[in-house]
Amino acid sequence: MSSDVLVCQGISKSYGEGEQKEQVLSRVDLTFQKGQASVLIGPSGSGKTTLLSILGCLLAPSEGELIINSEAVNFKDKSSLTEVRRLKLGFIFQHAQLLPFLTIKENLVVFARNTGMQADDIEQRIQLLIERLQLVAMAPKFPSQLSGGQRQRVAIARALLHRPSIVLADEPTAALDWHNGQTVVELLLDQARVEQAVLVVVTHDVRMLPLFDRILAIENGIVQVKQNVK
Amino acid sequence: MNAVILPVAIKMLSHNKLRFFMTVTGISMAFFLAAAQIGLLVGWVNTNSAIINHAGADLWVMAKETRTFDYGTAIPRHRVQQVSSVPGVKWAESMLIGWATWHHPQGKRINVEVIGLDDSFTGGPWEFASGSIEITRQPDTVVVDELYGDMLGVWKVGDEAEIQGHRVIMGGFSRGVRTFTAAPFVFTSIRNAQKYTPYYRDDEISYVLARVAEGEDPMKVRDLINQSVSNVEALTSSEFAERSVKYWMLETGIGITVIITAALGMLVGAVIMSQTLFAITQDHLPNYATLLALGFHHKTLRSIILSQSFCLGGLGISLGAVLFGVASNASATSPIPLETTNYVSIALIIFFLLCCIGASWFSIRAIFKLDPVMVFHG
Ligand SMILES: Nc1ncnc2c1ncn2[C@@H]1O[C@H](COP(=O)(O)OP(=O)(O)OP(=O)(O)O)[C@@H](O)[C@H]1O
Ligand SMILES: [Mg+2]
Repeated sequence: MSSDVLVCQGISKSYGEGEQKEQVLSRVDLTFQKGQASVLIGPSGSGKTTLLSILGCLLAPSEGELIINSEAVNFKDKSSLTEVRRLKLGFIFQHAQLLPFLTIKENLVVFARNTGMQADDIEQRIQLLIERLQLVAMAPKFPSQLSGGQRQRVAIARALLHRPSIVLADEPTAALDWHNGQTVVELLLDQARVEQAVLVVVTHDVRMLPLFDRILAIENGIVQVKQNVK
Repeated sequence: MNAVILPVAIKMLSHNKLRFFMTVTGISMAFFLAAAQIGLLVGWVNTNSAIINHAGADLWVMAKETRTFDYGTAIPRHRVQQVSSVPGVKWAESMLIGWATWHHPQGKRINVEVIGLDDSFTGGPWEFASGSIEITRQPDTVVVDELYGDMLGVWKVGDEAEIQGHRVIMGGFSRGVRTFTAAPFVFTSIRNAQKYTPYYRDDEISYVLARVAEGEDPMKVRDLINQSVSNVEALTSSEFAERSVKYWMLETGIGITVIITAALGMLVGAVIMSQTLFAITQDHLPNYATLLALGFHHKTLRSIILSQSFCLGGLGISLGAVLFGVASNASATSPIPLETTNYVSIALIIFFLLCCIGASWFSIRAIFKLDPVMVFHG
């Protein structure tokens, strides 16, 4: 099996019809390798969220193909899309979007169970991740009792729990101050590398760029790739 | 998979404790309303047919076209002998039923339903608080139910009042013998009863009550009576009970009113359920979108909502049933009892639960319309 976990082949996306038609992505070709961390940048409205939604099997491209683990994604079959998300993807959003009525521990358990993990595996995995993300003391609390940075760390744990091969994050630090934001991104990068997951992070913060393996810059529908030399 | 549905469903509900409590209370009140209406109906049905069911006769012979027990009209007394001589009849006895005015010692006039009983008092009260029915063999002695003591102004054996200008003495008080019409029953001997119902001639009665001989089919004997005794109609006990109940419930419209109110109770329950569930679902739409984005299937979310409606409905019904139990106990000694049967209770619970589940339809539809791509735009 090739190390290309995620491949975009000629992906285009337009919204609307006729006069209103807006071309957001034009024939994007990209490959993402195991353990590779990319940062996606671009002006507001350039299509970062759109691309991430397509990579995340949440939005169908107008043209082109998305290949995950050598298998083309069938965007017509909603239920198989859900299966891909359930088993292969991890998400982190701008606001952690934890379930407010569950404690941190319960939030993690519920998602892990949904992915079909075994009970003892769930216990060990949660223990490991909350230790690595310094969340042990938070486990019995509710999301509303946590700070924004703590919540994002929980979101990272949730995104990695089921050992997904791809982790996608849309502006995970936008709601945090610089210091907290940097900590969260560093933790996310560390954990994704340990887990050998493909990581794609959207950010507006140029100070984060050197932390990643490569930069994907999107403008006028075209994605340009720039390798970071380390 | 199932290990996620219940925790999410229940904790989503119980997170907002006040709303949870209010919803369960609302649903329980709606269930109670429906159950109380049905209980009233069952109580009335039992009251309607109580005398017939307790009399222990197999057959009732009456004037043709008698609509209900309370409206029995005159037939010649010798029908008793005629019925007795029909093959298969073991014994027959008469009963007289008539309407009269009771004078409360303080001057109020009250309509009463006088029931004149034959020698063995078939069709009389089946339970006594004090006194006995046998004493009504004495002139001017009557029995009424303790439920109507205040209304009639008599409270103990020996108290006196007046019916149609005749002095009467209380010979006893029955227990739990309710009347469905507003007019209390006054039990006495046929001889006494005839004095209070002057529109009956001395040789007239209202009903012949008959029991068939061992091993005889009451239906066959009924048909024989109908063929051989003229100008009367014979019915089995259950036919007569059914006819009496149907008269009050259907022909007078009372039953329909009660059933409509019960249906309204269910509707209110379903609306409360539907609104609350929809509000809860609406509040949690972003969370549902997150769940969808993170790999929960639509059908898992549907199960979450169905579990919630089951949970709210189940708790509401349980609480409503407890309320009904309390009300039913409290009303057991009142003139208007709330009663139920196993069959009625189970049917009501199932029907109510179905209403609750049906009420989750709007919420489920909202979930199925949800597009998880919104998570990135929230
Ligand atoms: N559902 C939609 N329907 C129509 N147009 C849309 C839709 N979603 C996005 N767009 C348009 O597509 C373009 C790209 O949007 P997108 O959200 O991907 O931008 P972005 O790069 O994530 O911007 P930002 O940095 O502000 O988050 C925008 O012009 C937007 O108006
Ligand atoms: Mg965006």
